Amino acid sequence: MTVVPFFIIVSLGAAFLISVFGKHYKRSSDYLANSACFILLALSLYTLNLICKTPNHILVYRVGGWIPPIGISMVIDCLTPFMLITVNLVAFLIAIYSINYMERYTDKWKFYTLFMLMLAGMNGIIITGDIFNLFVFLEIAAISSYALVAFGTEAEELEASFKYAVMGSVGSSFILLGIAILYSYTSTLNMADMAKAITQKGPAKILPFVSVLFLMGFGLKAALVPFHAWLPDAHPSAPAPISAMLSGVLIKVLGIYALSRIFFNVFGMSQAVSRIFIILAIASMVVGSILAFGQSDIKRLFAYSSISQIGYIVLGLAIGTPLSIMGGLFHLFNHSIFKSLLFLNSGVIEHSIGTRDLKKMSGILYKMPVTGYTTLIGALSICGIPPLGGFWSKLIIIFACIQANHPVLALIAIFVSILTLAYYFKAVTPALFGREDGQDYKSFRKKASWAMNASMIALATLSIISGLMLVPNLGAGLLKDATSVLANGISYANLVFEALK
Amino acid sequence: MIQSNPLLLMVGLPIVIGILCLPLSDRLKSVAKVLSFLVTLASLAGSIFIFIKRPMNWQCGVTTMFNADNLSSFIGLGISFFAFLITIYSFGFVEKSLGRYFGYILITLGVSLGVAFANDLIALIVFWGILAITLYLLVNMQATESSSRAAKKALIIIGSSDAIMIFGIALIWMITRTFSMDRVRLPLTDITSLAAYICIAVAAFAKAGAMPFHSWLPDVAQDGPTPVTAYLPASLDKLLGIYLLARASLNLFIMNSTSNMVLLVVGSVTIIFAVMMALVQHDFKRLLGYHAVSQVGYMVLGIGTGSPVGIAGGLFHMLNNAIYKSCLFLTGGAVEKRAGTTDLTKLGGLAKNMPITFISCLIASLAISGVPPFNGFVSKWMVYQGIIELGKTGARLWIVWLACAMFGSALTLASFLKLLHTTFLGQRSKDLIDIREAGFAFAFPMVTLAGICCIFGIFAFAIPLSIFIIPSIGQAISYLGVWVPTTATALLMISILSGLLIYPFYRPKMFRSVQTFVGGEDPESLQRVSGVEFYDTIKDMKGLKFIYEKEEAKSFDIYDQGKNIISFFTKILQHLHNGVLPTYIVWCLLGMIGMFFILFFR
Repeated sequence: MTVVPFFIIVSLGAAFLISVFGKHYKRSSDYLANSACFILLALSLYTLNLICKTPNHILVYRVGGWIPPIGISMVIDCLTPFMLITVNLVAFLIAIYSINYMERYTDKWKFYTLFMLMLAGMNGIIITGDIFNLFVFLEIAAISSYALVAFGTEAEELEASFKYAVMGSVGSSFILLGIAILYSYTSTLNMADMAKAITQKGPAKILPFVSVLFLMGFGLKAALVPFHAWLPDAHPSAPAPISAMLSGVLIKVLGIYALSRIFFNVFGMSQAVSRIFIILAIASMVVGSILAFGQSDIKRLFAYSSISQIGYIVLGLAIGTPLSIMGGLFHLFNHSIFKSLLFLNSGVIEHSIGTRDLKKMSGILYKMPVTGYTTLIGALSICGIPPLGGFWSKLIIIFACIQANHPVLALIAIFVSILTLAYYFKAVTPALFGREDGQDYKSFRKKASWAMNASMIALATLSIISGLMLVPNLGAGLLKDATSVLANGISYANLVFEALK
Repeated sequence: MIQSNPLLLMVGLPIVIGILCLPLSDRLKSVAKVLSFLVTLASLAGSIFIFIKRPMNWQCGVTTMFNADNLSSFIGLGISFFAFLITIYSFGFVEKSLGRYFGYILITLGVSLGVAFANDLIALIVFWGILAITLYLLVNMQATESSSRAAKKALIIIGSSDAIMIFGIALIWMITRTFSMDRVRLPLTDITSLAAYICIAVAAFAKAGAMPFHSWLPDVAQDGPTPVTAYLPASLDKLLGIYLLARASLNLFIMNSTSNMVLLVVGSVTIIFAVMMALVQHDFKRLLGYHAVSQVGYMVLGIGTGSPVGIAGGLFHMLNNAIYKSCLFLTGGAVEKRAGTTDLTKLGGLAKNMPITFISCLIASLAISGVPPFNGFVSKWMVYQGIIELGKTGARLWIVWLACAMFGSALTLASFLKLLHTTFLGQRSKDLIDIREAGFAFAFPMVTLAGICCIFGIFAFAIPLSIFIIPSIGQAISYLGVWVPTTATALLMISILSGLLIYPFYRPKMFRSVQTFVGGEDPESLQRVSGVEFYDTIKDMKGLKFIYEKEEAKSFDIYDQGKNIISFFTKILQHLHNGVLPTYIVWCLLGMIGMFFILFFR
């Protein structure tokens, strides 16, 4: 009896059950979705425990009992539980938040169905060991996210969703093309087998070509500049929990996780590709933060800031030393926590004030203390104010840049972190502080329910204490093991085949 | 295992109690008051204990996390002392949201002690970063538009300097592979260590308020709550900023002529530029804010001379400045509280109403202007000696630095004459007749600080120098000029007393006073000379006029210039994001072409 396929069974099953019962039994969709998310979170934690006890820290599941590379495999190594915990933790807290938040939309069960489908896609991407499977799960997650962005069915939302769908499909087609070419070259779809075949066949011109296709396709999903243009429209238009999901985990799983899995573990990181990664990362960091500087729409500001923070994560991964990869992964975790927190906050704020324009808000801290203070914590964490989580991950990335002898990159990272500080304190904090002057306080109609508050408080607490993950014996093992998977590169193939014996 | 340690307790206790104070509502304000009084008192006692028992340290695992040597225990003592006085002062000043206010004050206290005692560079940067946010929260207490703008500016400038300091620490780590400050001793021979030193110095400059990172300080001084200004920018930020500069210059790095030159230039420019700005201000607190910038120049100059007497002078000036500058801000706060404004055009003649405030302000003003026998004179005198000693070693520009320092001192005196005249002397306007003297909570800290100004001046060598300063720099000092403060004070006192004795005999016996006749107009509104315009003529001088205009247009403000540049790029990028889908697809394709190019042709 193995736990591996349950990540997909539970989430797909929940989606199915919600679509069957949700329409007729009103509360069933809440219960089903939340319990499914809880089970997924518990399973991720269990997997972490499991993988620590397994020799070699790798676990391969054969779907249908067929032996890979003939059959499909699902691989759990140390990076997997790290990603699973990130995704399912955030998803669980967002599901709790959605119970009350989504009341204002009709057909909540449709939302939950799509939500669980998206989650199934993300879990699938993380655990699969097969590149075509990865594409299928990626499409499941992406298509359900197109629908979710359009969930409000207003003109703005439909337009955003259309743009997102068109650009997303362009990206997906390039990924599919890349997979097809790779298949013709290596005659296999299993990632471990593919890695082996590529090492055996040696370098060929086809590989850089496929690399470019993948970089564009997954880079688009990760919203790296210049493939980012869908994100500033899609994130603000989606309902708040979906913005939180998109920004918090979707762009990381579909984009960064897939990119790093393929480029580190299958192709092996080359100097040239690493240079491209760095260029994309720097472009995202700088362009995202400069654009965020001019924003006064709260969700758009967060969206641009996501682009810029994704740049940090990719920068960390691209430098490729163990320290920098650890910084990148840690920033990935931190960013999913505080950015989903901020998007949830923006949902409450938009809901109660009736505008997204930060210039029209003031005194949120006094009228809605939970929302106000959690927003403050999220903003402080993303600005890298010690001792919150964001400070530590940025610190590690900057140190790693210096260690790898890239002082210019470190300076750019510092410059962007100054910009981040500037645009958050220019736009967001005045809306939190600020006295009554000119603000109609009657407009604070609906305050957040306790479930929404609980979810925001939980995320805020996590972003305060996530720095503890660096303390030995607490969480450093988790990060270090996840880092070693990427740092070890293409020895991934050997590990998988050893585990299959 | 973590065991209890006095240093850990000193840092941890105020932070924990401070966090507990935060949620206290105004119904429980006496609880907040009592708690903060007790904690600051305990902290003062603890600092004295640590100062006596030094050196001390706290090991966390294998690293020495905190270390109290001569310099840091002296800084720690200063921090606790100011926290205690400001807490008392705040009892009279602050009326709303006391829980939050005292919570932030206590957290600031603990964190500042953390900075002073930190021996680990990571711990240093963590505490240093938290201070930026507590400054923001404290200045933003009233959350008016102007104060939140000032708070934002302060946070962004200081936060940026923190980020730059991270870069410096990363460079130190790369060279030495250690975070322990006691194991770092880098010669500034190569470009990397020079860059590291500059990064650390930038953080120190921004915190202390030296040029060109000064522009937050006058804004905060003008718009922030007065006790907060007296607490952070006037005293704690000076102590910590100069502490960091001294630590870097004395211990972490081995200075050479290049790095000294940087400090000398920054110091001199800061002195002159800020004092020129101070001359033409017409707000009590903003004027003080510019002086808070200007005085930093002396400290930086002192450390930049590299000679023991100069460094000792710089550190002593830091201590003195914290004392008289917070005293001045506190008197400003008392005036603000009683008169309801700090606009110099509206003040005047308050000496009759508020004699204690006036005397304190007078003493502190004389001290800051370097008039003997007060403490400011001694430290400036030592800084001058440091510069002269620098000249002896063959440095060419020493006369320039000396001239800047002395000229700055004269201008300081000039601008304080204006301040004293417009606020306390001159004629009272009608609204100010009924003003009362400030209460005990105000008077106690002011009088204490003014008293210390006298004591540290008269007994300069016996008390502050031999107890605090000389042990801190760990070198013997040789003095060039002879200044015997006790004898000199005695002579001064004798001359003043004899003057007072002679005065009654030669006073003109016959004079009469009449109302001025101004053709039936109300003389009050016409003839009141407030003195605000004292130095407005220099504003119109050629050359200077240009500089003043540029400063008022914020052309020298790193913050506003940075904002303009970023906004320019934002506009361009916003223009590019036109929302047209085909454009976005074209970007993607262009991106792919670029990547092809890199992978195939490079």
